[in-house]
Amino acid sequence: MFATSTQRHFWMFKDETDVSNARLSANIKYISSRGRNMTVIEREAHFLNVVEEKSLIMSYEYQLRDFCRKFHPPMPRYVIGTALHYLKRFYVNNSVMDYPPKEILVTCVYLACKVEEFNVSMDQFVGNLKGDREKAAAIILNNELLLMQQLDYQLTVHNPFRPLEGLMIDMKTRFPTFSDPERLRPGIDEFLEQVFYTDAILIYSPSQISLAAIIHSASTSKENVDEYITKILFSEDQKRLLNLIEAVKKIRVMVRNVQLPHRDTIKALEKKLALCCNPDNNSESPAFKKRMKQSFDEEESFEDGQYPSASSDQVRSMLMGLSEMGKI
Amino acid sequence: MDDYQTCPKCKTTKYRNPAMVLMVNACGHALCESCVELLFAKGSGACPECKCPLRRNNFRVQLFEDPAVDKEVDIRKRILKEFNKRQEDFPTLREYNDYLEEVETIIFNLVFDIDPTNTNKMIDNYKKENKDITQKNRNRQSQEEMELEELLEAEKAQQSEKANLYVNAELEEKKQKHKAREKLIDELMFSDADAKSIVASHVQATAALAKEQPKAAAQPSSGVVKSSKFSSGIQIGLRGQHTNSFLPIPKQEDLPLYRYTAPVFDYDGPPPPPIEKLGKLNYFANIRAANIAERAGGYTEAMSCCRALQEALGGLFYSPQLTHKTAVLATNSSTQDTDDMETT
Repeated sequence: MFATSTQRHFWMFKDETDVSNARLSANIKYISSRGRNMTVIEREAHFLNVVEEKSLIMSYEYQLRDFCRKFHPPMPRYVIGTALHYLKRFYVNNSVMDYPPKEILVTCVYLACKVEEFNVSMDQFVGNLKGDREKAAAIILNNELLLMQQLDYQLTVHNPFRPLEGLMIDMKTRFPTFSDPERLRPGIDEFLEQVFYTDAILIYSPSQISLAAIIHSASTSKENVDEYITKILFSEDQKRLLNLIEAVKKIRVMVRNVQLPHRDTIKALEKKLALCCNPDNNSESPAFKKRMKQSFDEEESFEDGQYPSASSDQVRSMLMGLSEMGKI
Repeated sequence: MDDYQTCPKCKTTKYRNPAMVLMVNACGHALCESCVELLFAKGSGACPECKCPLRRNNFRVQLFEDPAVDKEVDIRKRILKEFNKRQEDFPTLREYNDYLEEVETIIFNLVFDIDPTNTNKMIDNYKKENKDITQKNRNRQSQEEMELEELLEAEKAQQSEKANLYVNAELEEKKQKHKAREKLIDELMFSDADAKSIVASHVQATAALAKEQPKAAAQPSSGVVKSSKFSSGIQIGLRGQHTNSFLPIPKQEDLPLYRYTAPVFDYDGPPPPPIEKLGKLNYFANIRAANIAERAGGYTEAMSCCRALQEALGGLFYSPQLTHKTAVLATNSSTQDTDDMETT
């Protein structure tokens, strides 16, 4: 359940400013570690700032969705939801410049398929990718453990889809005056698609999001489900009703403000990213390749937790995360 | 150890032929069974090491690793059959010790073939002088052995008797309980007295009976009175140790019974209807029914319906909180700052 899950206990924020703060700290950490010898102005020109990072992430989220939509066999929406969740969580803790988003994106989808029990073999998976398949498989497998480590090994994600079904069933049973809630489905689906591009999933519980979807869809079709909410859901707790109304309003505002960044801006940002990204983690760069070759030659074993892209304090967090692996 | 036992003639070891058995002859040398047979197939033979004449029935299966030990054991047995005086036969301890030393000397001489003629003469002399005493001792020995055997048998009989008694007592108890129960039922059916008082009186009666049982079992059954000690003072058998082992186990006092408490979940939302009531509330009309294959596996619509409702209603009361780890680190650092400020 959401109330006892790690999602609620470790991955929730108070509001959007908190999320931005977390991203800001990750950004600052990266810049300060890489740009030690530059002046402030140089840094600003060279590195991406938080806003630019956010736009980049949003564009990659769109790419993820496109990838999943064309996926063969057809991917159910909760897998996509989980993958987007992972992507968001990863880039709350890390900067876009540190790890190339393209690779992390694919790894997120792969891991989500595994966790949500949507069984796809590696061959099938990379069959959906363009380009060198073996290389892609190697990239995914290399990044998988890193991704899990950055998620603190807390892989269970509660998506709004099942609460949505539950609310539908409840509405049909206890609120028969509202005829055929299925009419609201298209609006709901669209809303839920959009909500994944916001930070709402990191702030509100999935059942609140699905309720917001229902309300939104109802209001666009000029219907009114307020009676359902006040009389039936919250008949006993009137004060919590206010809390919920507040939450729903905020979610709807967030979704309304979603804006896909312009393609030209994205192109420019990607060029900038290519310059300032961390060469150790970018599998294209010669430095990375050299390091990988070195590690193979020395037959380094990863006993000390040194995955190709991890640092020593992340090792500590990994060890902590291992102890929490059982919690859901 | 296995490698050590090599037949000196054919050199097979136990390792190579695990069934090999070494036999020892009268002169103390070892031969494996097959070699013994071989030797005596060609008529009576001589020991391959020392060439003394041997007879087939002088070969015994080797008990000890060292054939010399076996030889000595044999000689000792033979001699002690003749020299069987005991401590009571001698007036002083000193004389008894002298006698023993004489016996040992004879055995030693025989084993190592020292001065055989003289030793044999000594033996013959002794035999002649002590013929009757030897005979008497022999008889006494056999008598004592018989007594020992009788004692052992008697004890076995006693133990089995006790076991039978115990089994019988249990059967008796069961019968009595059964009778008491039937009596209770009869009384309840037919008598006019108050039901509670009947039950109470029965409880009392059974309690009184229960008290009598351990007393009866504590009395040991008096069987045949046999001597419980050997002549040297050692106790025979385990008599003193387990007369009390057949008492019934004492009843434990009543400990509090286990009481099941159902786990309570905090949904953080309006409570969903419990799974048992879903059918009555007509939820199943709005959910896909389970097909036959699913139902055979144990799945019912109630399960998915209940789960969907729980997830839908759970978390609706949630208000946003900062639980992400960046928050924890931030608050830690801020509290540290305030601490520093306070100290300065």
